[in-house]
Amino acid sequence: MENVIKVEHLTKDYGEGRGIFDINFEVKKGETFGFVGTNGSGKTTTIRHIMGFLKAREGIVNVLGMDAWKDSCKIKKFVEYIPGEIAFPDLKDGTTFLKTQAELLNLKDMNYANYLIEKLQLDTSANLKRMSKGMKQKTAIVAAFMADKDILVLDEPSTGLDPLMRETFIELVKAEKEKGKTILMSSQMFDELEDVCDRVALIFNGRIIDIADMHQLNNLPYKTYKVEFKQREDYLKFKRLKYEIVRDQEKYNQVTIKVYTKDYNRLFNTLKNYNLKFIAEIKYNLEKHFKEILKKEYDRIDNEKLSQEYNNYQNQDKEYTKQQKKKEKQELIIEKNEKFFNKKKEDEKKEEDKKFEIDKKEFLKSGKKDKKLRLKQQKKEEKLKKEKKDV
Amino acid sequence: MFSKALFKQSMKANWGKWLAATLSTCIMLAIVIIVLGNLGINDIRDSLSDVFTQADQESYLKENAIDSYDLYLTSVELEGTMQNLDNETTKTAYEYIIAPYLKNIEDYKTNNGGQEPDTQALEEIRNQTINDDILGNPMTWLVISSYLDISKEQATQLLNVVYDNYEQDKFTVEDAQFQTKMITLIKTTYLNYIYIYTYQTSLSQENSTETSAEYNAQLMQEMIEKAMQSYQAPVGEFDKTPYKETALSSVNEMLYNSTYTMYYDMYIQQGMTTEDADTNAKLYAVTVKVLSNTAISTYELWLTELGDVEGAQEQARTKASASITDQIPEKVAEALTELGNMDIYSLIIGSIFYRIAGLLMPMVFVIMTANGLLAGQVDSGSMAYVLSTPTKRRAVTVTQMTYLVVALFAMFSLLTVTSVIAVWVSGGNSFAINYAQILLFNLGAFLSMFAIAGFCFMCSALFNRTKYSLGIGGGITIFSLVCTILGLFGSSVVPSAMRISAMNFFNYLSIITLYDTVSIMGGTLSYLWKFGILLAIGVVTFIIGIFRFDKKDLPL
Repeated sequence: MENVIKVEHLTKDYGEGRGIFDINFEVKKGETFGFVGTNGSGKTTTIRHIMGFLKAREGIVNVLGMDAWKDSCKIKKFVEYIPGEIAFPDLKDGTTFLKTQAELLNLKDMNYANYLIEKLQLDTSANLKRMSKGMKQKTAIVAAFMADKDILVLDEPSTGLDPLMRETFIELVKAEKEKGKTILMSSQMFDELEDVCDRVALIFNGRIIDIADMHQLNNLPYKTYKVEFKQREDYLKFKRLKYEIVRDQEKYNQVTIKVYTKDYNRLFNTLKNYNLKFIAEIKYNLEKHFKEILKKEYDRIDNEKLSQEYNNYQNQDKEYTKQQKKKEKQELIIEKNEKFFNKKKEDEKKEEDKKFEIDKKEFLKSGKKDKKLRLKQQKKEEKLKKEKKDV
Repeated sequence: MFSKALFKQSMKANWGKWLAATLSTCIMLAIVIIVLGNLGINDIRDSLSDVFTQADQESYLKENAIDSYDLYLTSVELEGTMQNLDNETTKTAYEYIIAPYLKNIEDYKTNNGGQEPDTQALEEIRNQTINDDILGNPMTWLVISSYLDISKEQATQLLNVVYDNYEQDKFTVEDAQFQTKMITLIKTTYLNYIYIYTYQTSLSQENSTETSAEYNAQLMQEMIEKAMQSYQAPVGEFDKTPYKETALSSVNEMLYNSTYTMYYDMYIQQGMTTEDADTNAKLYAVTVKVLSNTAISTYELWLTELGDVEGAQEQARTKASASITDQIPEKVAEALTELGNMDIYSLIIGSIFYRIAGLLMPMVFVIMTANGLLAGQVDSGSMAYVLSTPTKRRAVTVTQMTYLVVALFAMFSLLTVTSVIAVWVSGGNSFAINYAQILLFNLGAFLSMFAIAGFCFMCSALFNRTKYSLGIGGGITIFSLVCTILGLFGSSVVPSAMRISAMNFFNYLSIITLYDTVSIMGGTLSYLWKFGILLAIGVVTFIIGIFRFDKKDLPL
């Protein structure tokens, strides 16, 4: 089967962890593909890429072998779309809107549209602005389906519909599927996807974490049963038989067992002899499946977070020790420097003292010399005076 | 490249806004033009210019009164001088004026065999004497023109009078009464001169007829004659003082009489009853009398105040003859003159309606519609319905642009029709704004809105959020309009009394400044290249918007 929609490594990073990352999937011809995920997980962003409203930053989005961005107009000839956010153009009522839409689609035959309107019990004469959410959704469904194109891209198409209408809608989608149309549909309701889809992708935080095959899920090789016995003896006796017990509730004499197809007869033959309070099959559905996966994912994330925190802590610790060492080193250097300076100062002081003493000695010496000279002169003068007197 | 369905959708979504903007603007425009056309908005201007004319007349009248007063006194002085004239001077005058005439007659007689000249010949002789001997002699002419302020023509007229008078009593230098006779001759000439002079000045005055001028001249002549007769002090330095009072009352009386006659005749001609004409003319005459009295008194006061300063007389004359407008400060007078010349039609229709008031509603329409055509639909998400059909983004933008331009064009077409009809109702080409100008006004307004629409459309195409598209596109547009309003107070269309030239700065901040209504009204062509710029702005912004919208992410 050929691929109608093909998405490879699609990435659009809006920053702060928001956006979609490395999305890969394909929708084959005639297949119904579901998208499920929490709010803001990236379903709508992926769909907008397929519709050619957003340009892929990385990766490829192909519809019918054409680039979703470049050939967006050609692709629209084969695609009908229900937007996730319902807002209509500024027109008077539903009829005007559908007429305009038909004109834009170049659609002349309104029979199918009228069939849809009847089927959905839509009052098209209502004012577009005053429509209830469900009415708006119905109008959007008619606007999309009436063109009767090969590919359906539906972004949360059933929001706002009452339960009865939702069933009608799902019937409609099933009918479209039977016509051989390729459908891509996002939803927050597991049950409606379960009913319609061949495969369902789970998007979480912008990544596809699982694609579930509904055929596989519906045709598991085993079934799970919950059995409660009236008497304690029976309960204990049953436990001794070799059945795979998933859950054991002693208090209520209750066991939950997993039985493979080949063991069905054996089980029911065995149970003939027991006094049962009740026996019930526990269905394994999409919701359970994804919840398990999500739980694992959360655990993984928690682990990651924990390990990251641990790492962070360790890193912080390392850094702290590093800084401590640095500080110590610096302190050492400062000490060394101080010692060096002190020594230098002391040396300088000593040298100065020495110099001072030398200077002192010299000064004293010169002083003594002067005294001797003065004495000599005095003596000379005295001699001269004496000689004068004598003369 | 064009989606009919989308065009229809845009039309359905916006027709209400379009109709509201168009109708309100059309009504405003019609009211403005028709009311202006019928109210006589230029009344103030006309009355202002009346004030100025009246002031001019008043000033002229005062000057006239002062001149007559001066003339009166001068004439009295002249009388004194003439009475004291000595024999020699009169003889010289005789030699210069009478002698050539007599000599020419003698020559004629000798040439024609002693025959007396007839009237025709006498006239020829006179002309010959006047032209060749007197006026042809530069010395003689210099003397005459220094005494009397007259042209050669008037001099000829005067000399004819002299000869006429001489013919009546032919006297010679040997005559016993020679001097008295000569002086009488000069006096007669002088009085004739006064007559001619007054006649001329009277004729140059507004509202005057030949009859009134004649009357004025006669009155003046009589007054001066009386003035000369009243002179009594034959000896010593001439003293004006005793004559001043008589001069004042004579001039007042003369002006009163002349004005009364003039207006009385005018009123009678206009078909008034004699009684009404009399009262009304009296009213005017009294006003004139009061004015002349004031002017002369002020003149005298100024003369005494200024003393013997050089040009004192001229100064006093100017001060005394000043009208109301001469007394107010020059700047105020200028402002008033400008106010009188201001064209209120072009101010209100061109600069206020077409550039401000008339643009407001189209602007609101453009801001809202441009936003709603792209950004609004992207923001709400409704664009998804158009783009999920096989419609290219380019087709969406081109269609929406076409809608916006067509809507604007239709709006201004209606506005043009309205304005043309309104002008036609107000008197067509005789209205202050003619058809060509009103068409240019509409074209300019359309081009301004085209540029603004381009800008708003570009903003709408650039942003995914209404708040940014409206905030920037609408914000800048409204800012432009407000700047135009503020800039108006600094622009040349506002009279200088109200103008604050610093406010002109705001005009540089507004795109609407390129819509040059002053140039359109003034008949210059500078508005043409500005129109070109507006067109270019519109085209470029539209193109930027279209190309940008092709390439951006849409949250649909």
